[in-house]
Amino acid sequence: MQKLSNSKLISIVFTLLILVVIAKALSLGLWWYLPSDGVELNVKNNYQPKYQRVYCKNIITKAKIQQKKKEIVQAPTDGISITNMLLKGLYGTSSRAFVIVAMKDSPKKTKLVGLGEVFKGYTLKSTTKDSAIFEKGSKDYILTLEQTKSKRRARSTKKEDSFITPAFTADEPVGVSRRDIAHYAKNPKQIWRDISIKELRDGKKILGFKVTKIKRNSKFAQLGLQKGDLIIKANNVKLVSYKDALDIYSKIDKIDMIQIVVMRDNQEVELVYDIN
Amino acid sequence: MVKKIAIFFGYISFFILALLYFTPKISLYYFAEQELKAFDIVVSSETLVDTGFSLKIQNPTINIKSIESAKIQELDITILGLYNSVNISNIGLSSTAKSFLPLNIEYVNITHTIVDPLHINAQVKGEFGEAKAVVNILDRNLSIVLLPSKLMKEKYANTLRNLKKSENGEFVYAKTF
Repeated sequence: MQKLSNSKLISIVFTLLILVVIAKALSLGLWWYLPSDGVELNVKNNYQPKYQRVYCKNIITKAKIQQKKKEIVQAPTDGISITNMLLKGLYGTSSRAFVIVAMKDSPKKTKLVGLGEVFKGYTLKSTTKDSAIFEKGSKDYILTLEQTKSKRRARSTKKEDSFITPAFTADEPVGVSRRDIAHYAKNPKQIWRDISIKELRDGKKILGFKVTKIKRNSKFAQLGLQKGDLIIKANNVKLVSYKDALDIYSKIDKIDMIQIVVMRDNQEVELVYDIN
Repeated sequence: MVKKIAIFFGYISFFILALLYFTPKISLYYFAEQELKAFDIVVSSETLVDTGFSLKIQNPTINIKSIESAKIQELDITILGLYNSVNISNIGLSSTAKSFLPLNIEYVNITHTIVDPLHINAQVKGEFGEAKAVVNILDRNLSIVLLPSKLMKEKYANTLRNLKKSENGEFVYAKTF
């Protein structure tokens, strides 16, 4: 009788088929267990209005100069000029405010003036944090609080005396040279010798970047940064990821000014630098 | 008897190859992505191609802490058990790294074979020059030997200062992890 099939070959093929089926079954089991989707990059774009700096101080100064000129012209006709007045105090809110005013020749003789009330021909129109705006003959006159003036004088004197001028406030931006930035970019080790910054997290969320160490007399110390400062904003962008910080760094060649907001002693402090 | 053992090993080899072929490589890649996410590393914009015994990843972008760090043209992962390799070609590093090193890397070839099971070897070539890296799995250390290019020597001398220079002009970096 002639053999129609090779039983040995069939046996090998059958065994191989079984092995293929077992391999496929195992891979299906693995496929069932493994995730079916990958991880996608989920970047929340930190859209904030572009940082623009307006020097209100200059505007007010200009306005004051213009007003002073007008006052000089008006003074002879009225007899009493606003330059002869003193603003001793401010109370209330912008809608319901009172000011204490006096004349320079008799500073102890004060008078309480409410919004809309008239003092020596000048009507109190509105108030700000440290000044009162009077109106006379459809023209506005600003009277600044005495304490603010003296504080400003004291602060400017202190700055002149000190060797390093720290950028404690946003009043006067401190200059940062592009050469220094380039130097630090080429020598990253120098950065970590001078300053140590670590992210501060609330769970997975980054709250800001904390200055954990700062070398005395380093460039960073001269810029007004202090140990314990929590950097929360740069150029009006909240720093909630490394990407936010790096985005600012990558644009440093194109910007002329950088504004940093730090939390210091539970208070927000704004540091402003001119890049030149 | 010898014939039976040979047939048995033949079956085992066939089974392993079948298993490797049917392994859901794309799903395994997704699993690896999830593991990498714990270290703030995300691979995005990639196209995955399962070629049977290897996985090709085309045009991936590597993001570390949400920062785009590198763009790769192609990444080929082959895991055969006895011979495993990861071949990466045409890597463009993020411009933020331009202060430290040249941005273009031609290739990175990482291999692990049964012949040398305790070491993972890597070869890298790029604008910075050529480098050879060896990871000792047992001693848990990494050593890199770098032969810098002219560009690297001229423009990135500061980076080279972080490495130890050997007598034959190579730069060595070693780290235990």
